[in-house]
Amino acid sequence: MGKLTLYGIDGSPPVRSVLLTLNALGLDFEYKVVNLMTGEHLKPEYLKINPLHTVPTLADDGFFINDSHAINAYLVSKYGKDDSLYPKDLQKRAIVDQRLHYDSSVLIGTGRALTTPLREGKTEIPRARFDALEEAYKTLDLFLESNDFLAGKELTIADFHIIAGLSTIMLIHDVDATKYPKLASWLQRIRKLPYYEEANGSRLSTIVDFVKSKKFTIV
Amino acid sequence: MGKVTLYGIDGSPPVRSVLLTLNALGLDFDYKIVNLPAKEQLKPEFLKMNPLHTVPTLDDNGFYLYDSHAINSYLVSKYGKDDSLYPKDLQKRAIVDQRLHYDSSVVTSTGTAITHPLFWENNSEIPQARIDALEGVYKNLNLFLESGDYLAGDSLTIADFHVTAAMTGFVVFLPVDASKYPKLAAWVQRIKELPYYEKANGSPSQQIIEFIKSKNFTIV
Repeated sequence: MGKLTLYGIDGSPPVRSVLLTLNALGLDFEYKVVNLMTGEHLKPEYLKINPLHTVPTLADDGFFINDSHAINAYLVSKYGKDDSLYPKDLQKRAIVDQRLHYDSSVLIGTGRALTTPLREGKTEIPRARFDALEEAYKTLDLFLESNDFLAGKELTIADFHIIAGLSTIMLIHDVDATKYPKLASWLQRIRKLPYYEEANGSRLSTIVDFVKSKKFTIV
Repeated sequence: MGKVTLYGIDGSPPVRSVLLTLNALGLDFDYKIVNLPAKEQLKPEFLKMNPLHTVPTLDDNGFYLYDSHAINSYLVSKYGKDDSLYPKDLQKRAIVDQRLHYDSSVVTSTGTAITHPLFWENNSEIPQARIDALEGVYKNLNLFLESGDYLAGDSLTIADFHVTAAMTGFVVFLPVDASKYPKLAAWVQRIKELPYYEKANGSPSQQIIEFIKSKNFTIV
């Protein structure tokens, strides 16, 4: 078996979702930092392995995949000792898939709608974007209504995607535990995973500094 | 075992992607229209099945599922005579999954940025930047097609169904320039030749296309 290489940058939630999966699976891998600020992702060598020039990209012995959800599903299916992180049971899998697409189609965009203005140096963020985030918190709380984890009774890669995104966006707008008690206790539960700090928690410092340096008003 | 029931509305591209899958699989199914403008999706009976009140929603003998990508993957895995529409081979599947998430994260939002103001805010002026973003999608789709006749390779998969359904409305705003995006133009034709295309996507999309045209939009 060849080497696994993850191309990415700590600031990216999708990259951290893959770091969580790799750590959960106990896999050896190389982590190559792609400096998005200096346009490293636009260089020919990177475009060759990912023409969409996004992070993360995974290289598995010459096979290249992009999109964090596709990467995580692949890693569990190929290297998992069991299928618990991405169940093979059709109904269980369908629910995980729905959560993954909720991440892709709603959560990622909702988070970006708040961080992009800050990165562009804007000091005013429309209230509607915070309302959209509150709506997302409400939905996630609903997903957790009858279960300890986002897609059911067990931890899956869905939890990794959401914690990576949430831990980032909460630095701008916190989760109100009185409004979203299930979401709040889920946050605590995930932070207790033995690899959480290594894969996600310790990698938020650049974002913490970034958010602290930005003054903004909600309009 | 009873038939599956699909809840949706013809105008919705994600719903049509499921119609394409159901037809491709040759499955019998019930199709129940959910009147979105009349807010039928907010009724308690629908919320019970799908608290996110979106379409499509699938009822498979009491198992409720939503998100078109999750639905299509599930249908092929459960009812497909073979796995060609959603291959089990890990590398092939990873490519399909990446296309599905490209649909969720880029294709859909690029389209909504154009249609939402037009449909729901009575604004018929579309900023050029949003059409440029759509052209960016065409460029990437053309790139995906460099490795095969279909979006995820040499064989038809559910990835083709999602993007076809979205493209049906997109081309009203921005026709595919075959000289710039020859692979994409050829793929659009190839999909139209599927025997179930008319039934699953062609005719159901007529009304929404007419609706878009009736808005007399301008690109500013």
